[in-house]
Amino acid sequence: MLETLGYTTVEGSRKDHEITVYALSTCGFCKRALAFLDSNGFAYRYIYMDRIPLETKTEVKKILKDRYKEDVAFPFAVIDGQDHLVGFIEPDWKKTLGLAGS
Amino acid sequence: MAEKTGEQTGGFAAMVAKKQGWKVNPEADFTSMLVEGLTVNWNRYGYYLCPCRDSEGSREADADLVCPCKYSWEDIAEYGHCYCALYLSPGFAESGRSPSGIPDRRFRKA
Repeated sequence: MLETLGYTTVEGSRKDHEITVYALSTCGFCKRALAFLDSNGFAYRYIYMDRIPLETKTEVKKILKDRYKEDVAFPFAVIDGQDHLVGFIEPDWKKTLGLAGS
Repeated sequence: MAEKTGEQTGGFAAMVAKKQGWKVNPEADFTSMLVEGLTVNWNRYGYYLCPCRDSEGSREADADLVCPCKYSWEDIAEYGHCYCALYLSPGFAESGRSPSGIPDRRFRKA
């Protein structure tokens, strides 16, 4: 079901991780998270969850919560289909994406 | 319900901050995004849903997330800023630090 969503794809030179970001178009930290990925050259895809139908959104959040055993807050990033990040705390994103120390 | 402009929402945020003894985040670009997000939410839902929270589909379900959200007071006391970082404690504002993401207290287990 997650694969059928209308993600926006962002090109980047760094393709060492498969990154999907579930975000809100109204959220400052979501925008900062996407800007962080942009400025570090990551390729990724994202979707603004506040712009999809409520039923779809509810289903997506349920899938994410079941899969990652975590309440869904935004931004919610899935890395390589395994790791996940909730909220934008830059040191955590750097560590998970292999930028620690940079 | 009449639509709000960004200017009106900015006035609302300033009024809330003044009443509560908080400061509006001085990072102009970031705060502008939040004010725009709040404005979108008012014009979309009819109430100022926190720009960093997702609507559960009704005003009743979102009641604790209407700006200033129910968790603002505790978050500002603990972290120096609210969840979306629109409002800061005076001390945090004076420190010059930039807010970072914090856990959503809504999900905190009692």
